[in-house]
Amino acid sequence: MSEHSAVAAAALDHLSKRYGATLAVDDVSLQVRRHEVLGLLGPNGSGKTTILRVLTGYLRPGSGSAQVGEFDLVREGRAARGRIGYVPEDAELYRHMRVNEFLVFMGRLRGLAGDQLNERLAFVRERLALDDVGATIIGRLSRGYRQRVAIAQAIIHEPELLVLDEPTNGLDPRQIIEMRGLLRGLAAHCSIIVTSHILSEIERVADRVAILLQGRLLAVVGMAEIVSAGSDLERTFLDLTADVRSI
Amino acid sequence: MLRALVAKEIGALFISPVAYAVITVFLLLSGYSFTVTLLVAKQASLVSVFFQAAVEFVLLVPLLTMRLFAEERRTGTLELLLTAPVREIEIVLAKFVAAMAVLLAMIGLTLSYALVIAVYGAPDWGPIYSGYLGLVLLAGSLASLGIAVSALTANQIVAAVVSLGIFGLLRSIDSLASLLPSPMDNWLLGLSLLARFTPFATGAMYTSDFGWFLALILLGLFLAVRALARR
Repeated sequence: MSEHSAVAAAALDHLSKRYGATLAVDDVSLQVRRHEVLGLLGPNGSGKTTILRVLTGYLRPGSGSAQVGEFDLVREGRAARGRIGYVPEDAELYRHMRVNEFLVFMGRLRGLAGDQLNERLAFVRERLALDDVGATIIGRLSRGYRQRVAIAQAIIHEPELLVLDEPTNGLDPRQIIEMRGLLRGLAAHCSIIVTSHILSEIERVADRVAILLQGRLLAVVGMAEIVSAGSDLERTFLDLTADVRSI
Repeated sequence: MLRALVAKEIGALFISPVAYAVITVFLLLSGYSFTVTLLVAKQASLVSVFFQAAVEFVLLVPLLTMRLFAEERRTGTLELLLTAPVREIEIVLAKFVAAMAVLLAMIGLTLSYALVIAVYGAPDWGPIYSGYLGLVLLAGSLASLGIAVSALTANQIVAAVVSLGIFGLLRSIDSLASLLPSPMDNWLLGLSLLARFTPFATGAMYTSDFGWFLALILLGLFLAVRALARR
């Protein structure tokens, strides 16, 4: 692991992951800095979700390593997972549970109890505007509300790293705008890594962008650099991916 | 943490109509067996109930265990559990405890039969105690193996069918033993759930049978943990 990983919220070091004969992630090294929003950008099948699944401890690295803060995800998996909040793609929740019941359950899994759990429950309900639906069964909520519940469970334990896989999937325009504001607000408290295949979404929320294609990391660029170069994310993405395709 | 997981699993099992259907069918069939023994054979005994319950467990436990992991894998909620700071063994144990809660409720409800024969007859309590212990051990073995199978697939029907196949084979493998020469017939008999359960149901308890059921329970839990860890 490089010396910079000591200060990074999360780091991947020469990570590769294979599904049978398919190499889903190919030698990716990447860091998420503290309190930044890092966008993972790439077309379907580029390895975004696999990287997130390794980073959350759901998948084990094929080779290389992954760590959250100072904790290695394989050797110290439990400690590392305790510092992560994760919203999977199409966040499937326990549909038979009520919102409050689900949040309490997820809080307990993250080691919260007693007054601390009650305080955090009140905080996330207020932050995600869930007070009115606390007693509602999750299966009866709209898509937008379910996504809010998914984020609430991910931040209930004040994670150091928030991992969001396609958080705007299926949301209507108003909900997408709300989600954008929410992410910017959360970045003040934790680091965020977010995937999307929608360029404009990443452009609006990310501080830096990692561009992936066919499992390989093509570049990590800061949004400020792109803007100062008089370019935009779409052009940068097309330039980078065109170079690779021409090879 | 384990308590939260167990509460969630028990809630999920009892919110589904499957648990109620399984309990109802079990009680109807074992009640029929008890009534016939009492009224026709006029015996103050639960031996026939125990054997009937053992057959019912082989058929019904797969219906209880099939969804425990397969459903979570299919819907994606398993990802939430496995990315939380919990151990795989805690997740598996919670599901095992929840399945056992349903099975113990089923077994517990049959205690009313023991109450009836205690009031109207003079039963020999030894076989009744050992029979109930045997039922609990059998239920635990089947539940842990069923959970292990469920952990391997995202399809509930596949989990149920494979579990049923394994349970059926383990129950009836003793009939194949008679075709084999010694000592292989004994080895095969040793694998039979029926051969291991029969002494309990008839009032004889052997530590080897007790150990066999405990080993099956531990094997099932171990396989389930390994299935979860393989990712």
